[in-house]
Formats: sequence, structure tokens, C-alpha cells
Amino acid sequence: MARLETFYEVMRRQGITRRSFLKYCSLTAAALGLGPEFAPRIAHAMETKPRTPVLWLHGLECTCCSESFIRSAHPLAKDVVLSMISLDYDDTLMASAGHQAEAILDEIIRDYKGNYILAVEGNPPLNEDGMYCIIGGKPFVDQLRYVAEHSKAIISWGSCASFGCVQAARPNPTRATPVHQVITNKPIIKVPGCPPIAEVMTAVVTYMLTFDRIPELDRQGRPKMFYSQRIHDKCYRRPHFDAGQFVEHFDDEGARKGYCLYKMGCKGPTTYNACSTIRWNEGTSFPIQAGHGCIGCSEDGFWDKGSWYARLTDIPQFGIEANADQIGLTVAGAAGAAIAAHTAVSALKRAQHKGE
Amino acid sequence: MSETESPGRLIVGPFNRVEGDLEVQLELGAGQVTSARVNSPLFRGFERILEGRSPLDALVIVPRICGICSVSQSMAAVSALEALAGAAPPPNAVIAREIMRAVENLGDHLTHFHVFFMPDFARAAYAGRPWFPLVEERFKAAAGSAVREAVTARAGLFHVFGIMGGKWPHTLTIQPGGVARALDARDKVRLGAIITAFRHYLERSLFGAPLEAVLALSDLDALDAWRAQGPEGNFRLFLEIAHDLGLRGLGRAFDRFLSYGAGPGAGAGTWRDGAGGDLDFGRIAEDHSFARMTGRDRRHHPFDGSTEPDGADEAGYSWCKAPRLGGLPFETGAIARRLVAGDPLVEALALRDGGNVESRVIARLLELAREVERIGSLVRQLEVKGDWHVETRLPDEGRGLGVTEAARGALGHWLRVEGGRIAAYQIIAPTTWNFSPRDSDGVPGPLEKALEGTPVADGERVPAAVQHVVRSFDPCMVCTVH
Repeated sequence: MARLETFYEVMRRQGITRRSFLKYCSLTAAALGLGPEFAPRIAHAMETKPRTPVLWLHGLECTCCSESFIRSAHPLAKDVVLSMISLDYDDTLMASAGHQAEAILDEIIRDYKGNYILAVEGNPPLNEDGMYCIIGGKPFVDQLRYVAEHSKAIISWGSCASFGCVQAARPNPTRATPVHQVITNKPIIKVPGCPPIAEVMTAVVTYMLTFDRIPELDRQGRPKMFYSQRIHDKCYRRPHFDAGQFVEHFDDEGARKGYCLYKMGCKGPTTYNACSTIRWNEGTSFPIQAGHGCIGCSEDGFWDKGSWYARLTDIPQFGIEANADQIGLTVAGAAGAAIAAHTAVSALKRAQHKGE
Repeated sequence: MSETESPGRLIVGPFNRVEGDLEVQLELGAGQVTSARVNSPLFRGFERILEGRSPLDALVIVPRICGICSVSQSMAAVSALEALAGAAPPPNAVIAREIMRAVENLGDHLTHFHVFFMPDFARAAYAGRPWFPLVEERFKAAAGSAVREAVTARAGLFHVFGIMGGKWPHTLTIQPGGVARALDARDKVRLGAIITAFRHYLERSLFGAPLEAVLALSDLDALDAWRAQGPEGNFRLFLEIAHDLGLRGLGRAFDRFLSYGAGPGAGAGTWRDGAGGDLDFGRIAEDHSFARMTGRDRRHHPFDGSTEPDGADEAGYSWCKAPRLGGLPFETGAIARRLVAGDPLVEALALRDGGNVESRVIARLLELAREVERIGSLVRQLEVKGDWHVETRLPDEGRGLGVTEAARGALGHWLRVEGGRIAAYQIIAPTTWNFSPRDSDGVPGPLEKALEGTPVADGERVPAAVQHVVRSFDPCMVCTVH
């Protein structure tokens, strides 16, 4: 390979105009919460840096992450990001089939050794030597290890790759295992959610490709810019929670008035994600806006924590008389406890890894 | 890594641009496929995971079987729970759910045609054909102009799920007794506008003509005329390709079809030997002879079924069980729905050459036109002041069958509850029917049968015709084995 193409060259080749390109740069800056002065920096990076290939692998999964991704809000952003990555390897979208497709993997690994990003949708099942997910005649876990070995970093798309998700629910028949428990020597960016929000996915990829670095992560390995607030913190129904106005049944008077869904089992108070700000399906809505509580699908273990329709019992209850300040205090206390619990769990996990 | 060749044998896989993983083993002779074995290599164990849980948990777990048919899975689960409870949701809820189900199907048909099926005709092997430049410009994978347009149109259409479901995939508002979201007059107007915009897209890009003209197609002569001098659009382009390559001579299976009936009022039925008939759910059974599952001694009715993987099983070559109706394999999908509904054009196509690559795709495109019309009228039937949900208590004991039509065909959930917990949950998905392995009589599944006789050129390692046949079923492998 003579010279590696830049992102800009790739986009031009895909028929994206200069004007659209600049617009995309400023949109990206905005999506990432950066000031307008960052747009020229993104443009410069994309014009000068060699393109970083993204290899997108599918393990045990339902393809909901890909489905979410291809409906990202701004058609331009989606086009650009798609044209960056579909050039490489993705089961669902690419043109070639069979051995041609597998050959592309080998080629990228050879030409971009240590300089490509591996995106994983789904996870490897480890029972029966991995035979519950066979790709091209071999267990997916082998393909994952093979491609991961020379990657620069790994993106774990969705709750499957990040934490295990419903296929890892008791009794976890296939021993579906999150990526970070199989690959332990690479930086892993977790983008949980079932699926993750499209705009979060494109923004994470764009950030990594343009700035050539990993976004700042929290203790669980999630990008802070999207996972540092609870659904509850920015929920538009929050005033009803504070006022003690709750939905008791679907389609009751409270439901029609848009009251809080806490008593319907909403997990918004313990779920860290951006649904209540970015929203879904190009910003039209999110589950709470459609009258159903949050099920906490971006939280580790959400599949085995008891009923999705039972109210949370680990945050204190308040009556109508409680004032907003008192409520705010108790909720902050509960959040503090939740974070402490997370910390303890991660510390445990780290200890386990050291022991291995 | 993907194909191993020995004289007379070819293994094709993994397939790209299908939902999930798939591997097909072909025996070759005299330039064609003599027999085929279809392997679904991905197993997760959803039926086992559901056992012992609260029945309501199914509402969260079941849609996650599939990221593209999630609403259909929710619909089947809710129908099973309502059958268990003997609940009757209010008319608004029935209509609202039906809109969501039908919209998801439309999105899948659109994706199938543009993203999964047509790009195969942009392969270099077809470079000499008169239609090739047009196909390459419009359908080259991920970059073709029609592909981009379709992805954008679908994203716009799926605003319906934003309004009615809060989120897609894995929508939560479909609940036993109704829907969680009561729509107001403003929502109703927005839904109407979204459907109209999608209709305009279809008329402009896919058909190049008003939908009324497409729906008026009722016999083979009219279809031929459309191919010869019809309006410029991707529908006509496909008809030209199908004619040029003889796609109607490719991929014929048993010509036995079943549908559970799309939408309220549309009944379940079969179509075989050139005529419609009843469907008896009591005569559905699954055979495990060539599935890597225990329970090979007899066929199981789904209320009495089991899902216990048996890794030591040497005879089994797929995780997929073999569903049979009255002991026979049946095909399902858009073509089956159109036939059971008595669509004259699809019936004429099936009477001439059965189910094949061409007729399956035409049935899907005709359904796109018909369903957009129907969804528009469903939206108008919503009474915003009416009820959307009735309180529904689930009994601690009992069973329920929930059926629906996913884009790819008949989807059924068989639920048994004991002591307030799920005692058994069996799912038969559309591609389970279509891509089933052989049964104890040695009878192949529909795709296995359809592949027999498919031409394979000398030295062709990824045979184009095999790709067309496989994709004509629009497989959803993550649903097939769950």
C-alpha cells in the first residue's frame, strides 16, 4: 500500500461535497459538546490524518446496535460515518460474501497492524468451546481474539458486548460473556444500552477517528460525555416526581397528564444514559415520553434485577407533602450509594483479573 | 476460512447482508446443486432464559431476540399473555399495535430489497448485462443512491415508533390490555404526515407511479406490460432483471404456504395445491431429528416442546428445529400472506411457477404498496378520546398461544404458566419454518428444497444463483434460532 488515504479523501470519493464536509465538522463539534472553535480542528484532522479503519464484528447478538446506528439523526453524519467504516468489514452491510469478506479482514489486519479500531456488537459464548456462535466454521471467540490482537482499541457496542445483556440472563445457557472478560490487554470503550442511542454511537466513533484518542471514560469504561447523568436527572417528568404526582396504571388520569412513572417501575433514577436529553428515533421521543418506565437497559445486570414493573425500593419514597429540597437530598444520597456500589464491584473485578 | 471445497461439495458462508449468521452446505453434480443442508450456527437459549420468570418479563426479553423484528416479537408475546388472561384490549390499542407491526414490516421489506437483495446484481459477474450500469449506480452495497435513499426514508418512517413506542428497536409500549401511550390529536396528524411522506417516497423512487396504479395490477399480462413499458422505477428495474436472468425458474420449494393472518380480521390459513385452506394450530409440531437438540424420539407440539441443546449429537447439523404442519414443511412470508389473502396477481404468479426468487420479491413489493394504503386508513380510525388500555390481571395458571405476522412470515409464541411463573415458552419464528433442517422422514426444509437444481458454474466459489435463492426468503437468522 503506497500511501494511506485521509478521511477527507475517502469522503470525497464517496461523493460528499466540501460544503457538506464542513457542515459535518461543525455538527460533530456540537454533538460532542465542544465549542464552535473545534470545527476547524476537526476539519484539519480529517484532511491530514490517514484514515483509521474500523472493523465491525458481530458475535452472539440481535443486530439492534447496527439497526440503531444506521438511523442516526443527521443523514449527513450517518453517511459520513458509514462511508468511513462500511469500507472495511461489517457483516450486515458490506457487498462481498464468504471468503472475500474474510479476506478483507486479513488484509486490514496486515496493512494497519496496531492502527485499526475493532468495534464489537454482541459477545462470545464460552460454553461448549464456543460452538453456540460459529462464524466461517470457527467459534466467534477465536475471531474476536484474532482481530483484537493487533487492534488499537476496542469499542464494545451495546449491553451485550459491554455487560452480557439478556442472553446472559440466568441461567445463561451459552455462557455469553462480555468482551472485556475475554480481551484483557486492550483499551475498551463501553457504549451500553439495548441498543445504544444512534447519536451516541456516531459521536463516539467520530471522536475517536478525528482526535485519534479515546474519550474520557468513567469507572465502568463508559464515555463520560454521555453516561455521567441519570435518566432521572434530565427527565422532563421530573417535576411530577418532585411533586409526588404519579401514574398508577397505564392510561389512567395521571398517565394522560404525563405524571411520573416511578410507581410503574421506572428505573430512571438508577440508570446512567442520555435518553432523556438526546432521545430516540432522530430525537422524536424516548420510552418515558411514550408512557412506559425506563427498564435500565444500559446498566450492568439489568436483566436479572427483578421485575421491570415493580417500583424501585432502593430509593426512599416521598409523599405529596415532601418539598423539593428534601427530595433532592434523599435522591442524591441514593445516587451516592449506587456509585459506591459500582466502585466496589469494579474493584472486585479488577482484583479478579489480577488473579487470573 | 469460509468455503471448503472437496469434489462435489461446497460450503457457502458466512453470508453477509443477512440478519445473523448462516452457513449452507451444498452437494454438487452436473453443474447444479443436488442437495443442500442449511445450518443456523447461532444459539442463545431465550426459551430457557424465560423459564421460571414472571410472565411480564417476556415483554422485555422476547423483543431482544431480534433487533429488526422486535415489534413482531412483542406482538406475539402480548397476544400470548392476553390469551392467557382472556383479555380484550380496546379498539384504539388494537389499531395502534397494528400500525406499529405493519410499519416495522414495511421497514424490513424496504431494507431487504435495497440493502440485502439487490446489491447482488451489482456484482462484477453481471457487468455485461444491459441493466448493469443502472443497478451499480443505485444498488452498490452501502454506496448506491437508492440504498442511501431507502435508509433515509426508513429512518423517517420509523418516527412512528418515536411517537407511539418511545424507541425502536425494542419498543416497550405494547402491553397486555393495550398500549402505554395514549395518542392525542397532534400525534394523529403527525402519524398521517409521516405515512404520506413515505408513500410519496415509494411513488417516486420504487414504483415511479401512483400506488393506485400498482394496486390495480391484477394479472400477468399487466405485469408484463409494466416490465416492457411501465414507469421508470426500481420495481420495473427488478422486473427487467428477473426476466433477463430467468429468476422465476430459480428457487422453487414445495409450493405449500402458511400465514397466521396479517392484522385484525385477517384469518390464518394455508395455500397449497393451488388453493387456500384452513390452518389447524393443533397440527403444528417440531421435529428434532437433525437439530442439535435432545428429544429426537418424537415430534413435539409447541405447548409440549423443549429446547435442550445436545452438543454431542452427531446427526444434528443445525441449532434450528424442524417445524411441520400436518407432518409437512411449509413456506411462510409475504408471498404466503398475499396468497392466503387471495391477491389475484400473486396467485397467478404462484399458479404459473410457484414460489420462486421472482415471485417472493414481487409479493414483498406489492405488500409495501398495499400496506402503506392500509396504515393510512388505520391512522384515521384512531379515536383519541377513547380508551387505550384496560387493566389486565394475569392468572397464575394457564397457557396462551400468541401469533402474528412478522415481515418474514408466521411467528408464534406458545406460553405455559404455573404458580405465577413461566413454566414453558416455545417460539417458532418465520425463518424457523423456511430454513428448517430435515425431519425424521428425511424431508428437507423449504430453503433446502429450493436450492436443489440451482446452477453452479465451474469453479464458482460463492455462486450468485445460490445467493439469490437464499436472499429471496429474506432470512432472519437471529429469530430462526433464539
